[in-house]
Amino acid sequence: MDKSNFNKLHVYWNPYFGGFLLGLLIIFTFYMTGRGLGASGVMKSGVVTMVDQVSHEHTIKNAYYSKFVSGDKSPMNNWLVFETLGVLVGAFISGSLAGRIGFRVQHSPKITVKRRLVFALLGGVLFGLGAQIARGCTSGAALSGMAVLSTGGFITMLSIFGTAFLFAYLFRKNWI
Amino acid sequence: MINRNLAKILSKRYIILASLLFVAALGLVLLPSYQKNENVTAEHLLAKVINPERYITSDVLADKLILKDPSILLIDVRVVSEYEKYTLPGAINIPFDSILNPNYEGYLNQDQYDIVLFSNDNFKADQAWLLLNRKDYKNLHVLNGGINGWYHTILNPPKPTEDMPQEAFELYNFRQAAALYFGVGIKTKVKKEATPIPVKKVVPKKAVVPVVKKKKRKPEGGC
Amino acid sequence: MGPLIPNGFLSYEWNIIIAVLIGLAFGFILEASGFSSSRKLAGVFYGYDFAVLKVFFTAALVSVIGLYYMDYLGWINMSMLYVHPTYLWGAIIGGAIMGIGFVAGGFCPGTSICAVAIGKLDAWVYVIGIMIGILIFSEAFPIFEKIYNGYYLGNITLVDSFELPASWIILAVTLLALVAFFVSDIVRKRVKKVFY
Repeated sequence: MDKSNFNKLHVYWNPYFGGFLLGLLIIFTFYMTGRGLGASGVMKSGVVTMVDQVSHEHTIKNAYYSKFVSGDKSPMNNWLVFETLGVLVGAFISGSLAGRIGFRVQHSPKITVKRRLVFALLGGVLFGLGAQIARGCTSGAALSGMAVLSTGGFITMLSIFGTAFLFAYLFRKNWI
Repeated sequence: MINRNLAKILSKRYIILASLLFVAALGLVLLPSYQKNENVTAEHLLAKVINPERYITSDVLADKLILKDPSILLIDVRVVSEYEKYTLPGAINIPFDSILNPNYEGYLNQDQYDIVLFSNDNFKADQAWLLLNRKDYKNLHVLNGGINGWYHTILNPPKPTEDMPQEAFELYNFRQAAALYFGVGIKTKVKKEATPIPVKKVVPKKAVVPVVKKKKRKPEGGC
Repeated sequence: MGPLIPNGFLSYEWNIIIAVLIGLAFGFILEASGFSSSRKLAGVFYGYDFAVLKVFFTAALVSVIGLYYMDYLGWINMSMLYVHPTYLWGAIIGGAIMGIGFVAGGFCPGTSICAVAIGKLDAWVYVIGIMIGILIFSEAFPIFEKIYNGYYLGNITLVDSFELPASWIILAVTLLALVAFFVSDIVRKRVKKVFY
């Protein structure tokens, strides 16, 4: 990959422009459906569905799973699942227009692929756990919450970014 | 030249955009606050208050009841004990205290029937009428005079004197007939019967099909 | 008038079509803003790239100002909108755990889905990690139940918390965000550039 091509890969929108469009999208979402965007919900639906496939009795007995398996309605029949299908397609379109498609692991040149993947897994586990405790992730709780001035949304946002800044020093080698 | 001017403006673009955002937020602060009317505007309500269709006279109501007009829905807003003692035939009891109870919304929020509200006099029924109109319910009327008026006009009408016009006599005849129909004959011969004992009738309750309104969905959300 | 679907202006079936369309736009915007790159996302914590901060706060400002103008014009009924409920300590502790996860993994769920779509393998692993995290939470739900359901303050907004008119809060948030944008540009100039 020559240098000029590599640079082209990292030409992104002006962040203010992206933010403006995202703001309009949130308004549109609230105007149409009365709810905000979300992302981690689909993974919850996925987990519940998988556990339900393995052992239906277990999901009924578990106090948390049983909230999402009611009657014959599949946990995959969810607004967020359809939204996420759209996200996948939309990101794929944008990525292909900019030529960013390709299987690769993105990591700092100072660390190995293995280290990057281990930390990604670890970060994922923590984020999944935290998103359930806070009932939402950065899109569902923080971003959509802030759009309607929800106190919980603001607290979640401050907590996420505050802690991330506090612990950033520990993980600096992974990124810089 | 144009390019240089453009470049000058573009170099300040973030400041311009930031001030735009700031002005937009400031605009929200400076906008005059206003009272939001969730249901009915004041003009609309006032127009309804003045409208003579607000009241229905006991004669018109009696006529409709005798003709078994199916479009009439009588609502008794008095308390249950009074309702059980005496009420108009076919009336449904919705005590004034629970007039906004969502259980009764099916009866009140509809547009199939002409709802006639009544109480002992106009007072409570008028209040109920106002409350329900604030919620923008349709086809609401008040029985003029209430149960007392009903008693004085239909069940025990004043006998017209000789010098009254022909219509008064016709009205009297109608009222007498109506009184017979409603089960309380006017005991013209019987003296000292100041207050006829209200006849407790087993009134078949009017079957009303509550209109199932399109339920508003509560938005759900979360990640 | 709005929101259209909860108020019955549009049938519920439209919800699914709209969900896909909204997701399409959401994914496109996130990817085009560079949120599919974990190193760009993590840049906000080390001062070499503030895209997250800028996109995030611009979106929040535009949406909150826009929604309140629409509410003022009577186009949308704010009381019908879903307000994220406030479980005080759930939000704080959950947010703290998410914060560590964010800086360790370099994604959040929304952005990881974007990165999955363009084939980033670290994002695949990250999504698997999130699912494991949810599994752990669900299996150990009795442990977390107290924090999950406790300290419930209702679906409150900052208007209730500070007892100030919404417009003043929005103005304050706007000013804070503009200051943050300004500071972030200064910081970025001082921090050594990281080529990623």
